[in-house]
Amino acid sequence: MITLYDYELSANCYKQRLLMSLLDIAYESIPVDFFPGLEHKSEAFKKINPMGHIPVIDDDGFVLWDAHAILVYLAAKYDPSNRWYPTSNPELLGETASWLLFAEGTTNTASAARLFVNLGYDFDIDACRAGAHRLFRQLDEHLWFREREGRDWVCSAPHPTIADVALFPDVILSEEGGVSRLDYPALRRWTERVKALDGFATMPGIFPLGTS
Amino acid sequence: MVDAQTSWHPIAAADDLPLRHVFHGQLLGRELAVWRADDNFVNVWENRCLHRGVRLSIGTNNGMELTCRYHGWRYSNRSAGCTYIPAHPADAPARTISNRTFPAVERYGLVWSGETPEGDVPTVGVLEEGSPFTLRSLPVNASAEVTFDELRFHTFQPCGAHDHTNATPIISIDQLDDRSIVLTSTSDDLRSTVVFFVQPVDAGRSVIRPVLSHTPDQHEQIVIWRHHALMLASTVARAERVFADQPDPPPMVAAIDEVPVDLRTLPDPSTNRQAPLRVQVSRKWSTATGVAAFELTSIGAPLPAFQPGAHIDVHLSKGLIRQYSLTNGPGETAHYRIGVKLEPDSRGGSELMHQSVREGDVLAISEPRNNFPLRRDSLKTILIAGGIGVTPLLAMAQALHSMDLEFELHYFAQSEDHLAFGEVRDLVAASVTTHLALSPSQTAAAIEEIVRSPQPTHQLYVCGPGPMLESTRTIAARAGWADESIHFEYFKNTTRRDDSSTFEIALARSATTLQVPSGTSILQVLRANDVALPSSCEQGACGTCVVSVIDGDIDHQDVHLNETERAAGDQIMTCVSRATSPRLVLDL
Amino acid sequence: MNAVPDGRCTNAAILNQWHPLVAVDEVLVDEHREATLLGEKLTYTARPDGQILVWRSADSEAVELPIEVDYLCVWVCLGSPPDGLFEISEFRESDRRNVHAGTIGVHVSAPRAVENFLDMGHFPYVHTNILGVEPHTEVAEYEVHIDPQTNDVWATECVFYQPIAATTSTEGQMSDYLYRVPHPYCVILYKTTPMHDERMDVIALFCRPVSADHIQAHMFLSLLDPDNSEAAIRRFQQTIFGQDKPILENQHPKLLPLDPRAETPIRADKVAIAYRRWLSDMGVTYGVIPVGAT
Repeated sequence: MITLYDYELSANCYKQRLLMSLLDIAYESIPVDFFPGLEHKSEAFKKINPMGHIPVIDDDGFVLWDAHAILVYLAAKYDPSNRWYPTSNPELLGETASWLLFAEGTTNTASAARLFVNLGYDFDIDACRAGAHRLFRQLDEHLWFREREGRDWVCSAPHPTIADVALFPDVILSEEGGVSRLDYPALRRWTERVKALDGFATMPGIFPLGTS
Repeated sequence: MVDAQTSWHPIAAADDLPLRHVFHGQLLGRELAVWRADDNFVNVWENRCLHRGVRLSIGTNNGMELTCRYHGWRYSNRSAGCTYIPAHPADAPARTISNRTFPAVERYGLVWSGETPEGDVPTVGVLEEGSPFTLRSLPVNASAEVTFDELRFHTFQPCGAHDHTNATPIISIDQLDDRSIVLTSTSDDLRSTVVFFVQPVDAGRSVIRPVLSHTPDQHEQIVIWRHHALMLASTVARAERVFADQPDPPPMVAAIDEVPVDLRTLPDPSTNRQAPLRVQVSRKWSTATGVAAFELTSIGAPLPAFQPGAHIDVHLSKGLIRQYSLTNGPGETAHYRIGVKLEPDSRGGSELMHQSVREGDVLAISEPRNNFPLRRDSLKTILIAGGIGVTPLLAMAQALHSMDLEFELHYFAQSEDHLAFGEVRDLVAASVTTHLALSPSQTAAAIEEIVRSPQPTHQLYVCGPGPMLESTRTIAARAGWADESIHFEYFKNTTRRDDSSTFEIALARSATTLQVPSGTSILQVLRANDVALPSSCEQGACGTCVVSVIDGDIDHQDVHLNETERAAGDQIMTCVSRATSPRLVLDL
Repeated sequence: MNAVPDGRCTNAAILNQWHPLVAVDEVLVDEHREATLLGEKLTYTARPDGQILVWRSADSEAVELPIEVDYLCVWVCLGSPPDGLFEISEFRESDRRNVHAGTIGVHVSAPRAVENFLDMGHFPYVHTNILGVEPHTEVAEYEVHIDPQTNDVWATECVFYQPIAATTSTEGQMSDYLYRVPHPYCVILYKTTPMHDERMDVIALFCRPVSADHIQAHMFLSLLDPDNSEAAIRRFQQTIFGQDKPILENQHPKLLPLDPRAETPIRADKVAIAYRRWLSDMGVTYGVIPVGAT
């Protein structure tokens, strides 16, 4: 059984919940009082993750932290289709790695801006927002061309990968950080395609795809 | 200089509006919610729900209506009229709750709109003569003026020369006006022309929307899109640098319309609506034995929104006014569709509709009015139709179907040939049961079976001939249905009416007392004294002329109110009902 | 109109109120921290003896501002302080769980957040499967009055169907609500609890106006819930508020329009209509668009 050390309003924890929901992996969520309790900085928690951050998973004794690393591990181990983290397709694997790196950027800008606004983190908010806009502009153009190629996802495959899962929370929650997506129509369309995936899970702050 | 407020501007690319999407746009500081309905109509609306100001761009487009995310208010395709307010499921929203809409025209692969645009969308010769190919639009953090200025120095390679990155093409400005700049790039014997439109988003933002004059071969398209995106990126960067060095321009503030006075509070259900609409009969056909169907298309202004259960008054020659229910599904707003049964004892209305009204004719109709509102907060809805009474229930069935709510439609008719609107029934076929050629006692038995197990969370809607309504009312009451769970719509009041009484009415708000003599209705007395009151059937069936009663005993002669409502004694149908006490005090 | 160009508030009706600055837990001994209130930066700290001090950061003299400590928050006044803070008597009951569930920043005015808190109609749409679910969408008639003694706005006899009304719920129920607005930027909800017939849970929203269109929302609860951990109670409340936040941030304009013609009310909004009129009558011009301002 996988245990996820979790905080419901964290974009990085949501990445794990989203992937496990998409892959239909059973897991147990252990809530961490991230805010206002700062439980992840406690002595007790540092015995689980000495770095003092979440998410962390414990898969039958194997403990791993860092959001994108956990995505890699979960997809490599639990996706029998080998699509989400395509270890047997070097080109696609390389693309996925490249976009995961890009997602580090969106985490450090768009999601950082959200922490600033919501929870009062001490970041350079103007730099976070400007950085998020720069990356969103690139991603919007990239996804526009993907649509022209008849592709729906960040990587060139006809199916989504963990790169989509890593980027989606940073993008969809950006407005909480004061980063509007009005100028990025292709990015907005892509978020709706992610929401339409089988097994999609939402979180507070993300409107589900409406049906009626 | 052309006035930006009265000009057409591109606001989106046509393919920014895929199925069931709501595009978030902005023009001249005003945010827009732009969505394409399943009938391909492009809606451009103020991005703001009238209720609490929430952006409609976060709402849901189901292909027919846009639903607000906050309270589930539904707004119709085309008219932007509110069709449902879930917090008050038993009420019909006032037809006048409409969002602000802006015109939309698709041209050159772009969607055009404007605040109050005058004339037609301007044409560009080179695109009219060519085969326009829409390039990728780019957002710019600079005013439209600065962006436009920088486009004069823009450069690109003609098609076929995109790998000659070192070759310097010759760029000529073919045309330059307030809205567009036409550039031609020539290199050796290759030439390409691109028209650049600039959308003023707000004081500090704009979008470049380029269109190539000729569509390249399929295999070249990606290369051409990429080349232009790359070249434009440097023009964008230049414009942004120039703009950043300028002092900030004053912000563009788009004024929000005030809500009309009558919407300051919950609308009065008896709002007067006189002005009839003009519609053209765009199609007339026989939909069942003795039933003619009509599609009525607006002349000029778009048709107002309607709710399931609503009817219109059709004004015919000889001063005849008849009510017909709309059979339309949600968002089906390009026309109204009604069914008219030829009544053997017709007072002339159905005969005129059947024999004299033809395709192409113009009819005067009222705006839709709803005295038969559909609740959508029930776990199950049972619809029982007798003959032509199916029409409002078809509209309800489509609304329930589109919201995935459980319902049954039971349709009683003489024979297969008497079943109307097969094409509409097909849309909800899984929930329709037909009951054919039953005797009155068999009908009663079938209804008994249908209403056998009443639940407080279920609702029953019945429409059909008077005797069937009466028997359903009795059967359902016996089965244990609460009065407020059963909803009827009468088309006619066939009960004998007695207008021999005399009494006086006091109008509480205007402190006036009037006499109602025998042979004259309250409605007629009110009108004779310049008290405007809407009415429709004028035989106590439709419920339009309802007035609140503050004091006095009512002699109910209508068929609209149910037993509970009659017993409450606080409303009266002024067209037929009277007083048993010497005086009635009305809330007028 | 209601703020000078640097964003500071000049509206007496708001300046002369107690405002929640921070949770008491966040005030640390000998550590100076800053928070913005009504456009002004304030510094706060606690002395080793526990006494809490607050002063304007720009004030070189560091003159102490009047404070009150109550409901697990530090309250501060930038104008002439009113006599005491509004009373939530349940807070003093010994068997209650009093929880400060966190402070979340929202880009919206305080009155918009208060009005959202007063609203039942959005439960099925925004708090789907928790505080409401379709098709149970009806907002039944309820009563609104203003208490002549305290001048609080009250909405009573509110009833709404809720699938999971609280952390202690196991099934759907018709919840009974009372709403109370004792302060322009604070609102209290009294709610049926699955545990007791007579007594009610208390959930409150105290908004710190950072500026006219930014708040820090303090979520405060006083519950009759012996079983759930404080962390679980906080999580439930943060989930609910996390769902409201994107709605609030998508409202335009961000300031609450007090002119009845600005938006379209329905009967379900009776308490909101009363609240807007009450703000007008009280002379509140900060965080709102006053009648006749446009």
